Amino acid sequence: MQFISILLAGVLTSNFIFMQYLGLCAFVGLSEQFETAIGMSGAVIFVMTFASTVAAAFEQFILVPFGLEYLRTIAYILVIAAFVQLVEIFLKKTAPSLYKALGIYLPLITTNCAVLGAAMLNVKNQYGILWGTVNGLAGALGWSLAIVIFAGIRERWKFMNIPEVLKGFPLALISTGLMSLGFLGFSGLFKTILK
Amino acid sequence: MNKRSLIGEFTKGLIEENATFKAAIGLCPTLAVTTSLVNGFWMGVAVVFVLTFSNVFVSILRKVTPDQIRIPVFVILIATPVVIVELVMRAYLPAMYQILGIFVSLIVVNCIVIARAEAFAYKNSPLRAAFDGLGVGAGFMIDLMLIGAVREFLGTGTLTVGSMVLPSKPLFEPMSVMLTPPGGFITLGVLMAVLNIAFQRAAAKRAKTVS
Amino acid sequence: MADKLLITSSPHIRAAKTVRSIMLDVVIALVPASVAAVVFFGVKAFGVLAASTISAVLAEYLYEKAVKRPVTVGDLSAVVTGLLLGLTLPPAVPLYVPVVGSAFAIVVAKQVFGGLGTNFVNPALAGRAFVLAAWPLHVTSAWLNPLTMDAATGATPLHAFKGGQAAGSLVDLLIGNRLGSLGETSAIAILLGGAYLLMRGVIDYRIPVAYLGTLGLGVFIFGKPGALFQGDPLRGILLGGAMLGAFFMATDYVTSPVTPKGRTYMGIGAGLITLLIRYWGDYPEGVTYAILLMNLATPLIDKFVVPRYYGYAHDVAARRKANRAGGELS
Repeated sequence: MQFISILLAGVLTSNFIFMQYLGLCAFVGLSEQFETAIGMSGAVIFVMTFASTVAAAFEQFILVPFGLEYLRTIAYILVIAAFVQLVEIFLKKTAPSLYKALGIYLPLITTNCAVLGAAMLNVKNQYGILWGTVNGLAGALGWSLAIVIFAGIRERWKFMNIPEVLKGFPLALISTGLMSLGFLGFSGLFKTILK
Repeated sequence: MNKRSLIGEFTKGLIEENATFKAAIGLCPTLAVTTSLVNGFWMGVAVVFVLTFSNVFVSILRKVTPDQIRIPVFVILIATPVVIVELVMRAYLPAMYQILGIFVSLIVVNCIVIARAEAFAYKNSPLRAAFDGLGVGAGFMIDLMLIGAVREFLGTGTLTVGSMVLPSKPLFEPMSVMLTPPGGFITLGVLMAVLNIAFQRAAAKRAKTVS
Repeated sequence: MADKLLITSSPHIRAAKTVRSIMLDVVIALVPASVAAVVFFGVKAFGVLAASTISAVLAEYLYEKAVKRPVTVGDLSAVVTGLLLGLTLPPAVPLYVPVVGSAFAIVVAKQVFGGLGTNFVNPALAGRAFVLAAWPLHVTSAWLNPLTMDAATGATPLHAFKGGQAAGSLVDLLIGNRLGSLGETSAIAILLGGAYLLMRGVIDYRIPVAYLGTLGLGVFIFGKPGALFQGDPLRGILLGGAMLGAFFMATDYVTSPVTPKGRTYMGIGAGLITLLIRYWGDYPEGVTYAILLMNLATPLIDKFVVPRYYGYAHDVAARRKANRAGGELS
């Protein structure tokens, strides 16, 4: 039950983009091409899920036993950066085709605040390693859903005559607002059944 | 290009190289914490502090930092003041720390801070870097306060500054949507468009007076 | 002056005439529901409808004047948006609600993208979602008792129905003698309008049929608290805003899929989301959000659901053809 409730929250009711404002730069920056959005989604799902695992394990086995919680921010960002590097090397050696597809997006992920944000939320909600991983996956799926929908919408803008002052960020933000207005409808979904 | 004065390094961050409305970077906290003017102010203070010190650190170590690993080095240099801000805020402003939540920690991956380290501090003297950090930070703080003020005023009908509430009673029925994510996205989008128009007008005027 | 401009460029004449005649048909189709609203809820209903329609047209005119674009209020699309928004609101709502809602619908949901045909969500629904989030109390409680027109306290029949209680006779539901938003109460009026649109070929039967069918089936399965397969599908469809949404909002050309199969998917999706929100979400009714969310999915549906043509490969050619068809409609 907790599995479903965390997954549902991450994808619909507290979607990273539409409800929590996490990972916006990449969301706006990489949604102009549909293929790019798909590639980045793959990379985010992969990294965010396992970075959550690694960070939660680091929390449980190193930070807490040694009383170093106050160094969490610095420790997490290093863990995530190191993890992304490892993934990159590992993929290059073992799965060249996957590396080719995700490779260029991996370095971008270190500065994607959604990954660090997911790890931080896990601590805030006291999820531990298992549920932290699920939450990372859920957040990543929600993020991917958002960017894929947005990329679909943006593909149509190429043929439109959009005023100069609105091009780029202003229009992207207004659209995100309209999309998140729709996602408001999911608020409170299944809350009477779950928990 | 001739060097700017130190004051120039400061003032360019306010409008000319404004983080939110010109460069459009660091958007997550810009939306997440701007449900009120006061929240925007304190988040701005945190960013000014981090940006100034990270710029100075990066600049001091710029000659000994190998090019290939500069980004990881930047991240560590940025994380240090972030941890300080976190600890200070938790000790002295616990309520505000609760409200700003994880977004104080997330300053560490804020594109503004990394962008200033890469684009400016890595190439300039510590003093210049400090003024640059102060200026861009102050510009960002003004952005946060502006967005926070608009959202708070429309969303609650009043503006709270310290112990003052203006106006004491809402003049219209407050629109709670402005405090929710959709309201935030739309407010920022509309503000950007409006300021784009203002910037364009100003540029056109300047071009006219020059010629 | 305006006429002269229209005549000078020939492709525009055709486009303008097409849009205008379609929109005129929609306005005609909305007449029965609007009349029913005024009959049951009186002068307040008229006030809301007038406020929303006038401010939608005014917002379109002022925005287009401000950005120096050709004024398109003549295509009647703003009238349709305003009228539809008004029909989704409760009768006793303060008048600034329809005014702000219409302005939001026209400017933020449509004009900033470049006007009609460029918006990706239905403007009227975006306007309703905005005022619903802005003033939730006004939009979900300003009901009036039909005919007597005094302020109604207590739950709407949809609310009672979801709790498993009686929700009025079918005759009352069909003619509209119940609490509810202005345009959603009278099923007969909506059906009259919907039939007119179907007859004129303005809308495709697939979206409303798939939408209401899915919703009815879902209500039959889950609609009775504590028991499966004992719900009342007919009341499940008649109560709430599903009828109005299915015929007039989900069928919007610009924001619904272009292919027949895609339209069926859109209807099914909207039905499922409506059920989800109505029975398991925070909001009493899910029609607005269901159609808005399916609007968001429309570009993806169009991208991946392409019709098969004999003699064409199932790929670029077919997709291009589908896109072209979409271009002509909007």
